[in-house]
Amino acid sequence: MQSTSNSNRPTGRRSSLKKRTVMFGLLAALFLFVVGCSKDGMSTWEAFGPVAQLQLDLFNVTMWLMVIVFFLVEGVLLYAIIRYRKRPGQPKPTQIHGNNTLEIVLTIVPTILVLGLGIWSVFILFEIDAPPEGSDPLHVNVTAHQWWFEFEYPDAGNGKKIITANEMRIPVDRPITLSLFSDDVIHSFWVPKLAGKLDMVPTHENKMWIQADSDKIDEDLPVTLFGQCAELCGIAHALMRFRVTVMEQADFDSWAAGYSEPPAITDKAKKGKQIFAANCTLCHTIDGPDDPALSASRLKGFLTGADITPVPAPNLTDLRTRQTLAAGLMDLTETNLRAWLHDPDGIKPGNYMAARAVLYQGGTVTLDEDQIDALIGYLLDLR
Amino acid sequence: MATITGVIPRPTTYAGVWGWMTTIDHKRIGILYGLTAFAFMLLAGLEAGVIRMQLVSAENDLLGPARFNQMFTMHATVMVFMVIMPLSASFFNFIVPLAIGARDVAFPRLNALSYWLFLFGALLMHVSFLVDQVPDAGWFSYANLTEKPFSPNRALDFWAIGLLILGTSSVAAALNFVVTIVNMRAPGMSMMRLPVFVWMTLITSLLLVLAFPVITVGLIELTMDRNFGTHFFIPSEGGDPILWQHLFWVFGHPEVYILILPPMGIVSEVLPTFSGKPLFGYPFIVFSGIVIGIMGWAVWSHHMFTVGLGPVANSVFTITTMLIAVPTGVKIFNWIGTMWRGAVEFTTSMMFALGFVALFIVGGLSGISHAISPSDFQQQDTYYIVAHIHYVLFGGSIFGIFAGVYYWFPKITGRMLDETLGKINFWLLFIGMNLTFFPMHFLGLNGMPRRIYTYSAEFGWENLNRLASLGYIVLFVGFLFFMYNMWQSRKSRPAGHDPWDAPGLEWSISSPPPVYNFAEIPQVEGRDQYWIMKAKAEAAGTPLTEPEALIDVNTVHMPSPSYWPIVTAAGVALIGGGLLSHYAISFLGGAITMMGVIAWSNEPTVAPSDQH
Amino acid sequence: MAHAAEHEYTTTGLSNRKMLMWVFLGSDCLFFGALIATYMVYRGQSLVGPYPVDIISVPVTTISTFVLLMSSFAMVQALAATNADNKRAIVGWLLATAFLGSIFIGFQIFEFNSFKNEGLTLAGNLFGATFFTLTGFHGAHVTLGIIWLLCMAVLGAKGRLGPGTALDVEILGLYWHFVDIVWIVIFTLLYLIGGFDAGPVALPGG
Ligand code: HEA
Ligand code: HEA
Ligand code: HEC
Ligand code: CUA
Ligand SMILES: [Cu+2]
Repeated sequence: MQSTSNSNRPTGRRSSLKKRTVMFGLLAALFLFVVGCSKDGMSTWEAFGPVAQLQLDLFNVTMWLMVIVFFLVEGVLLYAIIRYRKRPGQPKPTQIHGNNTLEIVLTIVPTILVLGLGIWSVFILFEIDAPPEGSDPLHVNVTAHQWWFEFEYPDAGNGKKIITANEMRIPVDRPITLSLFSDDVIHSFWVPKLAGKLDMVPTHENKMWIQADSDKIDEDLPVTLFGQCAELCGIAHALMRFRVTVMEQADFDSWAAGYSEPPAITDKAKKGKQIFAANCTLCHTIDGPDDPALSASRLKGFLTGADITPVPAPNLTDLRTRQTLAAGLMDLTETNLRAWLHDPDGIKPGNYMAARAVLYQGGTVTLDEDQIDALIGYLLDLR
Repeated sequence: MATITGVIPRPTTYAGVWGWMTTIDHKRIGILYGLTAFAFMLLAGLEAGVIRMQLVSAENDLLGPARFNQMFTMHATVMVFMVIMPLSASFFNFIVPLAIGARDVAFPRLNALSYWLFLFGALLMHVSFLVDQVPDAGWFSYANLTEKPFSPNRALDFWAIGLLILGTSSVAAALNFVVTIVNMRAPGMSMMRLPVFVWMTLITSLLLVLAFPVITVGLIELTMDRNFGTHFFIPSEGGDPILWQHLFWVFGHPEVYILILPPMGIVSEVLPTFSGKPLFGYPFIVFSGIVIGIMGWAVWSHHMFTVGLGPVANSVFTITTMLIAVPTGVKIFNWIGTMWRGAVEFTTSMMFALGFVALFIVGGLSGISHAISPSDFQQQDTYYIVAHIHYVLFGGSIFGIFAGVYYWFPKITGRMLDETLGKINFWLLFIGMNLTFFPMHFLGLNGMPRRIYTYSAEFGWENLNRLASLGYIVLFVGFLFFMYNMWQSRKSRPAGHDPWDAPGLEWSISSPPPVYNFAEIPQVEGRDQYWIMKAKAEAAGTPLTEPEALIDVNTVHMPSPSYWPIVTAAGVALIGGGLLSHYAISFLGGAITMMGVIAWSNEPTVAPSDQH
Repeated sequence: MAHAAEHEYTTTGLSNRKMLMWVFLGSDCLFFGALIATYMVYRGQSLVGPYPVDIISVPVTTISTFVLLMSSFAMVQALAATNADNKRAIVGWLLATAFLGSIFIGFQIFEFNSFKNEGLTLAGNLFGATFFTLTGFHGAHVTLGIIWLLCMAVLGAKGRLGPGTALDVEILGLYWHFVDIVWIVIFTLLYLIGGFDAGPVALPGG
């Protein structure tokens, strides 16, 4: 690409090559776009509820506007450098210093564009702020812990209070109002298919609402959606996931009504129940909602304690009705539960069950295989 | 007190390691800044490589979460505070005095102090690797994850104290440049005749001076929380972690303009030179820079859209943020206007400048889509943001800086960089950059959160991550070409004083410039002074040739080298190091700092031995 | 302080060092601004006492504020004396400024001490943390100023201050007046307005 002129500046002459490169680049970008967008589990390209839908619509408009601006500006840029490339023997170009009319036009046009978009988004902001008037929302308190989510239904139906972890069940076509809390550091609540995220900040109560619409979901209910903590919250942040199961109101009601301690009718389960009471209840609760005093003492232990202290831990009452284990990390199966009880740290590095339970202080679990078996039998209500 | 300077004679040597350690010549300091920052860029780039290797496949277990968090934290902290800022400082140092026709900056020793503080602060933060307590809470280290109960080891102290020292360095440097630019211009160089790069330096310096104190307060409060038992950000004692976010981003958003304005200035020098036309709409470019600098203060909460400040605050910050597109667009349009009807030459420097414009537009437009707060709720803390960051910071800042390196390298070293290697370098970086970061837009919109060390295959993020990691390899090779190009320039063609037919005053003196810069301080008659001079000479039939060296160098009084900047800086670093280890060391550091300052203020600017 | 810069040429005619001080003070404004903002954000947020109303004594601090204000007056006199080349007056006024500054610091030490005795500590509650940090950094600024004043007084005693070096005194004066003004702001906000704050207001979100 070295020019022959005796100026030591080379000039570009292969513009056709450049054009082809550019075309190739554009095609590649387009191709990427087509294969790039997916609608998989966490994707924001698909909305299952009104909040996510408004956000997606707004984004689509913004994106296409920006794509247009992109092609316009980059197009002019490309045109300028190709059309006005230096040609051999060309005289010095005319020395222009500016053009005020052009400047003013090019200031006003973008101003109108961005103000338009900005004002529209303000309307949407207020629209998604609260559920529509006159609806009958279900309320859920969500508390984030390092590194799992706690869901509390103050009234899941018939005045029943339910506390569960890592899996939230919601009835379809009904607004769900959420109060978000955190017990330790800042986390963020995010179910892309239902709504954008909102942070969970200690001592702050943040409120949002979500809803899943049956006409937007083309699969059969119940449908399970993915959620993830979206604010760096320490070592296991990447593994702080959760699920939201959308179900018919009737299914939800029967789950709520059946929410109870595993019955422990077999001998194995009875043994398991004892082992659980001896080893696990320091942190876990299994017979329904937490006792606030107990929770408070666990939290205190967590914030001030060194090794071997009680810490807040998932309420395991309904473990047997859940689909996943360890904050949405893996499917709830016998094998996985066994693996978890053997070595929580190997599965979720840094988690506080391994770090703070006496059982794991020696590096390996102090329960034998039988005992673990019994625990599994009890927790999963294996008969 | 005067005895201190009496006992230790003023350094007189300009050669060797001592010469560099005691130098107060803005050009040498510029080179030191540049080389140090480049070394840190390789380090942070390698850290990025580790990140990309870990993410190349789902459920990868190359790194654990602990290491991964350290990698992105240090990658970003180093890139922002130890690469782009000092690389900009490197150009400020080398170019600004030359471009305004001055013999040095206003306070040469303060300038040296800035450099040494930067070096020692950066090294201090990297000591954390030796003791394996590496900062791991991200580059904005949100409280209260950074508080003792959640980050019990020393990692965050290294981070906070390192940044405090780096901040002091930046503020000292910025004070110096404000004064230099306002006060040391050659006669006739009115503000509206300043080269745009100098203007951007001035705005950046003012931003630095005003923004850094805010983060300084935040860092002090964090350090006190961690070491002296206060509760500024501890919620259980009434503290509010959101306050940290405000303090950080009130600094943090002006900071991103600190990172982009200098490269914008560089590009505003390169484009006219290689279009053979003066900058289109000079006053608009300057004023838009000022407007960006001012508006940059009113948008910080766009980093906090998801914190729960409520729809009213989010609306306000949406609108203010959106409006920043306008002055930025003004710049883009004027750059294109500069090339319009020009004679565009595709030198490597020019190609990087064009790459800057092309890529920055992408990053800017994704920035606009973040500014729309309702849809940002879906984007915040995803790879969509990571894509934005890298389009503006790599496609923007780094490309702009590369344009500057290729442009001014001949002036700095007197040697030409190889154009063929340069173009390979450019294309590899350009392609590699798009390959790495373009897929991240989709990763983010497909729901991939940032700062996760592992992901599960069911989310369908693997292929795009592969692509991104592949792009990293291309970038890596690109960097190798750059390094080879620098290396081979030792033996390359001498550059001559004005290889590009450039407009700036710095090209009117020989390459590399003599210690005293200008034999005679130039008289400035207009913008693009050297073009004016060349045109006049041409018209008079006596084209300008290689400038002649001064016959008698001794007629120019240059400030002499000094030990005290490096001593003072070492003292300050020891104070910081002591807070991290043993307070006794802090006292020693304090004593050394005191000694340095006292000796400094008793030192005459020109050593007696140098006086005539 | 070197005096090489006396006849320096500058574009604006303002001396480099004076401008450096101005820009630095701009920077310092933001520094105190952020500290004051922290204090204001945490007004009424302390969970436990002592609260401002329990310990702040406006009358005592009014005296020390007055003393500091007087020191600014002395500083003005010092500069005037320098310009008038009155060697003895220079030293006298400089020392007077330093002396008044020291009285202020004395008051502050006394105040810190009595607050400590009444249970206010850095680590005790947010009021303590924000109060001591803010006033502590201000005190550090004053202390630095006193050291600087004393150094200048020594130079003055050696006869090295006069109209030719008035700039040195002027820059010191800028700094000193700035530190005074910051105190006025602090005094207004922390004592006159915030001095009667009682216990915690309701925390957001209960
Ligand atoms: C060099 C650094 C740089 C620059 C210049 C910018 C520029 C901009 N940034 Fe960016 N930003 C960062 C660095 C930068 N940013 C970083 C590092 C982060 C992440 C921090 C972190 O979380 O780690 C971030 C994050 C970030 C967020 C937070 C996202 C989130 O976390 O949720 C937002 C939100 O509004 C934002 C917006 C913008 C906007 C509107 C601009 C504008 O200035 C862009 C203006 C430019 C253009 C618009 C293009 C050119 C204009 C035209 C061609 C005219 C026509 C255009 C229109 C009509 C629209 N940025
Ligand atoms: C200035 C800015 C800057 C620059 C230039 C870069 C450059 C790069 N960045 Fe970075 N990045 C940030 C600023 C920057 N980044 C910030 C602010 C964040 C947010 C962090 C946070 O969340 O806290 C981030 C986060 C970030 C992430 C997200 C991490 C996460 O959220 O989990 C990723 C992931 O891919 C990434 C990748 C890269 C890559 C591949 C490059 C490449 O461009 C790097 C190219 C460099 C090289 C290829 C170096 C080559 C080296 C050699 C040739 C050395 C060989 C020689 C010797 C050993 C002598 N960056
Ligand atoms: C010191 C406290 C502690 C003790 C003791 C403890 N755990 Fe845990 N456990 C935790 C914590 C904390 C978690 C959440 C880990 C995470 O996901 O980060 C957890 C998670 C679990 C989970 C996964 C829950 C879910 O929602 O997916 C199961 C199952 C479990 N523990 C069972 C047990 C059993 C059985 C025992 C007794 C043998 C036990 N734990 C003892 C603290 C404890
Ligand atoms: Cu919780 Cu990330
Ligand atoms: Cu920003």
